[in-house]
Amino acid sequence: MEAMIQPLGLALDGLLALTLLWLAWRVLASADLFKSIVFFIAFGLVMALIWVRLGAPDVALAEAAIGAGLTGALFLAALSRLRQGEEGMANGTHLRRANGLRFGAQAALIGLLIALFLALGFALLSLQNEAPGLSREVADMLPASGVSNPVTAVLLNFRAYDTLLEMGVLLLAVIAAWSLSAAPKEAVDAPGPVLGGFVRLLLPPMILVSSYLLWVGAYAPGGAFQAGAVLAAAAVLLLLSGRSPRASGWLGWPLRVILSLGLAVFIAIGLALTFAGRLFLDYPPDEAGNIILVIEVVATVSIGATLAALFAGGRPQQDKRE
Amino acid sequence: MTTAETALMDTPWIIWVVFGPVTGAIIAFLWPKRASLLGCFAALVTAGSVLLLVWHIAEFGPQRYLIGGWDAPLGINLYIDGLSATMLLTTALVGAGVTVYATAYFEQTTETDRFFWPLWLLLWAAMNALFLSADVFNLYVTLELVGLAAVALVALAGSRDALAGAMRYLLVSLLGSLTYLLGVALFYGDHGTLDIGLLGELVTPAPADWMATGLMVAGLLIKTALFPLHFWLPPAHAAAPAPVSALLSALVVKASFYLLLRLWLEVFFPGTTPNLGQLIGALGVLAILWGSLQAFCQTRLKLLIAYSTVAQLGYLFLAFPLASTPAATTAWNGTVLFILSHALAKTAMFLAAGNVLRAIGHDRMVDLARGATGLPLNWATFGIAAISIIGLPPSAGFTAKWLLLQASFASGQWWLVIPVAGGGLLAAGYMFKVLSLAFVQNQSSTAGTRIPKRMEWTALGFALGALAMGFLAPSVLDLLDRGAPFQTFSPGGVL
Repeated sequence: MEAMIQPLGLALDGLLALTLLWLAWRVLASADLFKSIVFFIAFGLVMALIWVRLGAPDVALAEAAIGAGLTGALFLAALSRLRQGEEGMANGTHLRRANGLRFGAQAALIGLLIALFLALGFALLSLQNEAPGLSREVADMLPASGVSNPVTAVLLNFRAYDTLLEMGVLLLAVIAAWSLSAAPKEAVDAPGPVLGGFVRLLLPPMILVSSYLLWVGAYAPGGAFQAGAVLAAAAVLLLLSGRSPRASGWLGWPLRVILSLGLAVFIAIGLALTFAGRLFLDYPPDEAGNIILVIEVVATVSIGATLAALFAGGRPQQDKRE
Repeated sequence: MTTAETALMDTPWIIWVVFGPVTGAIIAFLWPKRASLLGCFAALVTAGSVLLLVWHIAEFGPQRYLIGGWDAPLGINLYIDGLSATMLLTTALVGAGVTVYATAYFEQTTETDRFFWPLWLLLWAAMNALFLSADVFNLYVTLELVGLAAVALVALAGSRDALAGAMRYLLVSLLGSLTYLLGVALFYGDHGTLDIGLLGELVTPAPADWMATGLMVAGLLIKTALFPLHFWLPPAHAAAPAPVSALLSALVVKASFYLLLRLWLEVFFPGTTPNLGQLIGALGVLAILWGSLQAFCQTRLKLLIAYSTVAQLGYLFLAFPLASTPAATTAWNGTVLFILSHALAKTAMFLAAGNVLRAIGHDRMVDLARGATGLPLNWATFGIAAISIIGLPPSAGFTAKWLLLQASFASGQWWLVIPVAGGGLLAAGYMFKVLSLAFVQNQSSTAGTRIPKRMEWTALGFALGALAMGFLAPSVLDLLDRGAPFQTFSPGGVL
């Protein structure tokens, strides 16, 4: 039986790897940006499958939700704005290759990449150790971490500082996007009955799925980033269906508070622990589970809001009633 | 001890130097109307925390901090010795001064200008986090934070040049950090740890470790803009708003250099051959030559200063060929002193250039002479800063070059004397080209717009600081020696 399954698995892996390479090539080679984006989304989904094959379901979930889903949506939004900007110009969204690299430079670049690829392959094959990793250390300390999913234990306890700084990256991304320009005024098309009804049907289960992913992260694949991505997808659907919260007072300081809450609460907990005579982010073992849950809940909300704000693409324009 | 003293001793300043500015950034983001005032306050808290932390290191030696109470390899450790402390101090000096300058520069606050404050505070926090982290993956996160914040700050200028420069900077910066990350992944796959100290014990001259070293070095060289990977620097640094140009040239490129130096000393060294050090040194020499020539040919002031940065960065790499000789410590001391002196002098120049732009609206050198008479203080700033860039005594630039010369003589690698001394002459060439504008006689002097006194005085302060740093060099070297960061392999090293 084993002997039967192994070649089959190998064939599947080979097929996935080849598909991934082909999709990557198509993303880069398509002259039409829209096609590139579609291939990019497909690339993300195949990548997620590969993560599953590698036994990393947490990464697979994140890749599918953020890598394929939200990044794809961001690209599409950017493309539609490019088209608006270049209306009237011929071949607006086709890549202009006039000022591309000359043949010699291209050949040199390809040669360099092949050399790099071969060197990497050689280096990987020469690895002596069977990739020891830290799984044993993580397993040993798991009971003291407050959760039973080792990935969550690493992300929110053992290496919580990384996650804290990554929340900083997210906030920084929003601030950077907002500093560039104001969000474009959306054309207020009626979304049509299909999209409207669809959104109304889909929204409650999406919020439910998000909460489930958040809760289950403590003992199974899931957690704040995946839950936040689903929440963001719900928000993107709302924006697409024309139900943006433009007129309401939500876009002023309340939105800013929601965006920075995840980072702020994380830091506040870390600093509070130092005032209590412990080290930064050094949770008392009995409370670790609860502390992680609090951090994950606020992080989910902030991540969802951040990704949705990036999709909206600029700082909100306040209605000033001029 | 009184309770106040105990509190002062027990407060983890190592945490505050990172999360002080982050907290400031969040509050400045939440309350944009008061962003400038909040930014100043946060800068004060951050600089204060840095001073207390550095004092602690000077007094009690290096410190290790286990975040979350988890020791390496499971957790992330912070580590601060004399080298980190000197980098933190340099950042705090430049940061505090630029903050003061920025309050005047961004006075006519538009909605975009207010974003300077959260972005700058996050940049500061990210650099401090980078100087403190002892974990190669955590360092990758800090690199990304630094890069993203720096790109956003360049784009703040809003001009076509600035946006194009920022976009290119973003792509290059991402290429650099992803190359670095690939090396980190190889190291982790091979040795199962991310801690710098533990990695240093495990790395051997084997193919996988060579590859990882090569990738990480390449990634960091791109970010540090060593010739010929410097092409992204001049457009980005020249098109940014003046305070941002100063921060980028004085600090941001030095942050990735610091990381390269730290990893070189503690991780890469056993796995590299002297040839890699020689190669990096040779690129440094070419950087000095090419950067100086390009600087001389520029017709715009800010581009000239940016190319001067390309040239001056070359000096930082001259110590690499000396790393395996007994003179290594002297060479590294000179290098770090060079970082400090270049940071101060270059800040002074970019701020002075910002004053010129504000006063007469452009920085075309041909027409600069016409506005020159209006800004006597500004030309003094330029002249004094040039003393340090050229490397004349008593500036810190002179002391730094002197140490490099000493090291190259002591190690018998006398060929390094030529770029060290010749680079000074080249710098004199392009600096006098600027300064000569101040002596042009002209009748039709346009006064230009008046600029706030604060902007002129901070620029002058930095220039004088660069000059005075020559006298303070012994104290800096004394601080640098805490924890003996350069002793690891130097005399009679592995090779």
